[in-house]
Amino acid sequence: MSCVRIRFLHTEAFRLSAIYVVIFAVSVMLLGGLVLIITERAFRDQAIQFSQGDIAAIQNGYDVEGMGEAIEVVQQLMAAPSTSDFFLLQKDGKPVAGNLPAMAPRTGVFQLVRNGHEILGVGKMLAPGVYAWSGSDFAHAQLVKREIVQTMVWLFAVALLLAVIGGALVSRSFLRRSDAMARACRAIMDGDLKARIPVRGTQDELDRLAGTINEMLDRIAALMENLHQVTNDIAHDLRTPVSQLRQGLERAKEGPGSEHAQALETAIGKTDAILALFAAMLRIAEIEGGKRRAAFATVSLAGLLHRMRDLFGPVADAAGHSLAIDLAQDAEVRGDPALLIQLLSNLIENAILHTPPGTHIVLALTVQEGRPALTVTDDGPGVPTDEHVKLFQRLYRREASRTRPGHGLGLSTAQAIAELHGAQIGVVPGAAGFAIRILFPAMRG
Amino acid sequence: MRLLLVEDDLETADHIAHALTGHGHAVETVHDGAEGLVRARSGDHAALIVDRMLPGLDGLGLVRALRAEGLPTPVLMLTTMSGLNDRVEGLEGGADDYLVKPFAFSELLARVHAITRRGETHETTKLRLADLEMDLIRRTVVRDGKTIDLQPQEFRLLEFLLRNAGRVVTRAMLLENVWDLHFDPRTNIVETHISRLRSKVDRGFDRDLIHTLRGSGYVLRAD
Repeated sequence: MSCVRIRFLHTEAFRLSAIYVVIFAVSVMLLGGLVLIITERAFRDQAIQFSQGDIAAIQNGYDVEGMGEAIEVVQQLMAAPSTSDFFLLQKDGKPVAGNLPAMAPRTGVFQLVRNGHEILGVGKMLAPGVYAWSGSDFAHAQLVKREIVQTMVWLFAVALLLAVIGGALVSRSFLRRSDAMARACRAIMDGDLKARIPVRGTQDELDRLAGTINEMLDRIAALMENLHQVTNDIAHDLRTPVSQLRQGLERAKEGPGSEHAQALETAIGKTDAILALFAAMLRIAEIEGGKRRAAFATVSLAGLLHRMRDLFGPVADAAGHSLAIDLAQDAEVRGDPALLIQLLSNLIENAILHTPPGTHIVLALTVQEGRPALTVTDDGPGVPTDEHVKLFQRLYRREASRTRPGHGLGLSTAQAIAELHGAQIGVVPGAAGFAIRILFPAMRG
Repeated sequence: MRLLLVEDDLETADHIAHALTGHGHAVETVHDGAEGLVRARSGDHAALIVDRMLPGLDGLGLVRALRAEGLPTPVLMLTTMSGLNDRVEGLEGGADDYLVKPFAFSELLARVHAITRRGETHETTKLRLADLEMDLIRRTVVRDGKTIDLQPQEFRLLEFLLRNAGRVVTRAMLLENVWDLHFDPRTNIVETHISRLRSKVDRGFDRDLIHTLRGSGYVLRAD
């Protein structure tokens, strides 16, 4: 428990609460001070105003009917109920009325201390030698001030307590959520790759952070899954040729020396095939890594198609196929020419290798809603629709093509290259024969 | 030829040196980059064969240092990295050719021969072999007084063969240099194009210039 307490003293939420409490305390004190000053001034102004009123009444009495009337007024004022006022009327230094002893005549507003009372009042010469003073006890103002201060202190204490409790609650909640994040991360570190950070659905900053982290974890999980898949595929796909290689060498060792040269030739061929598979795997990994994007340049697709026709036209002819290009206009994309050549080569080689002689292959360049598209179409026997998705799986080879050259990575490589270019690659549904289309993003600018 | 091999893997170094010696070359072998640079500075090698990954100074650093010092010795770089970027980096760093391990020995040999010949035919505007003549400026080819009509790719293919006349060129060298293809095609691109070129350059003449060497590549020669 003490461990928990110490921990939440170290949380960001607690630090924020503490800062908040300090700011709150300082503002309460400032506000309190201000209230005191204003209250005191109001009391003062009121006292002075009353005293001036009294003096004016005495003056009036004196002016109209002489000293007798002035004494009368003082006595009347003193007789008012619940008064805490003090008066003095003196003539030639001798008091003639009031409840204060004689004093040196001093005019204006000032404060006296009598019997421990603070008295605030106003003095005035009514006529030469005639001095009047009226004031009131300021003690009750001090009382009110003390009460205000006390109220302030209580308010302050209660607010402070609430702030501390609130801060602690916020810290606890924050701590619980960050602990949940830490727990999820630790679970992932411990091997539970499916663990995710709980999201409350409140869309606050912690929720958004948790959401982003979860997305990152999903992406990492997908990459791990991919890696896992490839590792399995390699292990699976390599086992067969490596076993065959070993069997061949074993048989050659047992067999007559005259067959050794042939056996070695076969072994080198098999080794090359295994290495080619590795190279293709690594190439896909390199493409998917995205580093090649740094070398992108503007590529003319029409130029690319002409190059492909010049390169593969004779190859198609030799295999009894025909290769034509079909384009009405040029279109440009941002891309890596060497990789785009590899992409198209893969598709064209598939069309040449997996169709019977007499098949027509067409490379077409079209523009659909500003997006350039390259389509490789052949009028061969085609591929059943339910196999279309599988075609893009790594190391997938159709039963009929297992005896032909290749390692089942051609379309995976093509897909990786297309994705690097932000393009979509897919089988065109409903085509007579077989057609694959690469739809590039619209060229900006 | 006197060759310098810089390769840190002892087994690979031994294998390459042994095979090159078998073909009549004098091979000096060192196992790290810094020593390779010291030896290469002597300048008495016809070519360097440098592994990309070396302890201390790596192959790329070695070639860059050599070129910075103005040494023109041709360099063939070897690597286990098949990355396209690595190749570009190697060539930009000053290597003359780039070969990915593992390779067939005939591939290494052909490439070493090809790079040591660089410069001989560098400034020429005409390439000749026996009665075959190629004008690089006018883009024309004439054999025995008869003009041979070639398409641009066929012209490039013949040009590459002529520049390497008398030396073996491999399928991979042709794919890289003529068509800029850096992967192993599944169709017989090279065979097809060579066959078409042959039908234009050799057919109807009394001796063949384009010869196929089974298992290693092609050679253009007059005898």
